[in-house]
Amino acid sequence: MATSSLQTSTQQTQSAPFQPKLLLRLGELLIWIFLVGMALVEFAPISWIFATSLRNPSESFNLPPDFWPTSFRWDNYLAVIQSPQINFLLFFWNSLKIALLATLAQLLTCSMAGFSFARLRYPGRDTLFFVFLSSLMVPATVIMIPTFILIRSINLLDSHWALILPATTSAFGVFLLRQAFMGLPSELTDAARIDGANYWRIYWQIALPLVGPALSALGIFTFLAAWNNFLGPVLYLRSWDNYTFPIAIVMLNGYMGSGNRAHVLAAVMISIFPVLLFFLLAQRFVIRGIAVTGLKG
Amino acid sequence: MATVASHSASSSVSAKGWFAQRHTNRVQEIFAGYLFVLPAALSLFVFLVAPILAAFVLVFMRYDVLSPPEYVGLHNLSQLFADARLREIYWNTLRFVVFATLFNNLLGILLAMGVNRTMHAAVKYLLRTALFFPVLTTTASLALVWNFLLTQDRGVINFLLQQIGLDPVPWLSSSSWAMVSVVLFDVWRACGFLMVIYLAGLQAIPESLYEAASIDGANQLQRMRYITLPLLSPTAFFALIVSLIGAAQVFDNVWVLTGGGPADATRLIVLYIYEIGFKRFEMGYAAAVSLTLFLILIGLTLFQFRMSRRWVHYD
Repeated sequence: MATSSLQTSTQQTQSAPFQPKLLLRLGELLIWIFLVGMALVEFAPISWIFATSLRNPSESFNLPPDFWPTSFRWDNYLAVIQSPQINFLLFFWNSLKIALLATLAQLLTCSMAGFSFARLRYPGRDTLFFVFLSSLMVPATVIMIPTFILIRSINLLDSHWALILPATTSAFGVFLLRQAFMGLPSELTDAARIDGANYWRIYWQIALPLVGPALSALGIFTFLAAWNNFLGPVLYLRSWDNYTFPIAIVMLNGYMGSGNRAHVLAAVMISIFPVLLFFLLAQRFVIRGIAVTGLKG
Repeated sequence: MATVASHSASSSVSAKGWFAQRHTNRVQEIFAGYLFVLPAALSLFVFLVAPILAAFVLVFMRYDVLSPPEYVGLHNLSQLFADARLREIYWNTLRFVVFATLFNNLLGILLAMGVNRTMHAAVKYLLRTALFFPVLTTTASLALVWNFLLTQDRGVINFLLQQIGLDPVPWLSSSSWAMVSVVLFDVWRACGFLMVIYLAGLQAIPESLYEAASIDGANQLQRMRYITLPLLSPTAFFALIVSLIGAAQVFDNVWVLTGGGPADATRLIVLYIYEIGFKRFEMGYAAAVSLTLFLILIGLTLFQFRMSRRWVHYD
């Protein structure tokens, strides 16, 4: 622990005049071994997936394992995409559609409610906000039984709406956006009000553009959560054509995995690519987003 | 008094137009307030508040989805105490939650401190990407991959162990090792997320504090003890709650990696609720078990809030 306190970006050589140089060097070395070791441990399975997905399917079980590609059977990917029984592009589209709709809905409902709680005064507002806040403490899995019964009773089983509708708002998002709107100077909205702008215009044209970081943080989290959702599809989806990516991959493994690991891993890679691309482009936003999500209240 | 009253009355008459304008403004604001909150409130009530209320009713029912629900009194609640498997599964969940939360946060802090050091921007970018990668990838697919990696006979991990002269380990087939595998997988998957949370906390600490401390002659250990740790404590508090509640709800990890087995060795509470509800179709009992989880999580959160007064420093 002591050695890791080197983390500050102040000049370390100046700050430790009386510490033995050798000990410092050793600590430095240990930190780097730890960091690089962890990075390798975290990344090796991913590169194994990639390398194995490019193997000849009949050799995909063979040892020793590859951590970088030794053969390049790109047609494994083609085989997965074009597989006659399993419509992979459809699963991809299903996942994307659900995640995008849930994200858009949450951005809209959470920012509207956040604006209302932060900027408008009306009777019952604080009570309502308290209800939102307390629902932060209720984990989704705890209500999966009654939610299932509800979804079933409104005939949404085996429909994508069963996954989209319960995700149309989140107490977390409302709280996040409320905090963001509270941070805006009130003169801004007051001035617009005096100039005769109605509340929708103030929200849409003045306030919303100023809470971009909070919106992008919420958008990223919602999208990732919906994209990776596993319990929901397991509970609600029944037919192949409606499956989302995560559940389809697991089912695909049961279907062809015992004989053909390369194809299953190619499918896994296909599910990784878009998220990887997104992260490489938006790493800054993801990390800033997590910083924005309050932590500082 | 009289003059004051008459004065204010006359001024209100002269400003009658202004008051009317004020009044319509106020009505508009109230109207807008309700309209803006309506979509979120509607969604919250239908998909969160109503299910919670329904759960409290469902606890007293026998309901198998197909035939109409039937009132059974306290039967489901008394079953909670008679269910030996429930005890075993809560014990599994407890061990999993404690170890996963502990290692995730420990590694998260250490990695954040490491990555936050001064280094070449490209190196930093590569490290962060590699460490954060599993967080971005679907848990279910990763669990599938780890299932391949941990297989006893032809698994990659055992192959590597044998290369360095160790015995192969029954990662998934022995009941004592299976829990280790599940925790290892969770830490591998989630510690990058905790790293980013702690990184955000570290970067929020003003640089000037460290500079001032250096000028005052504080060494690294002292800067760590009196600046980093206290100022990181709100972040740690948040991270602990989030990771604990997340770990208690783990489902896809075990579903794909071990299926809860061997026997019940890695069956965690949410997997059990799923089994009661959707394999045995005892919705009432499943709701009862869910309620116990709910109460435990709320209790833990409140407990952490109480404890936090002792160790969390807000500036």
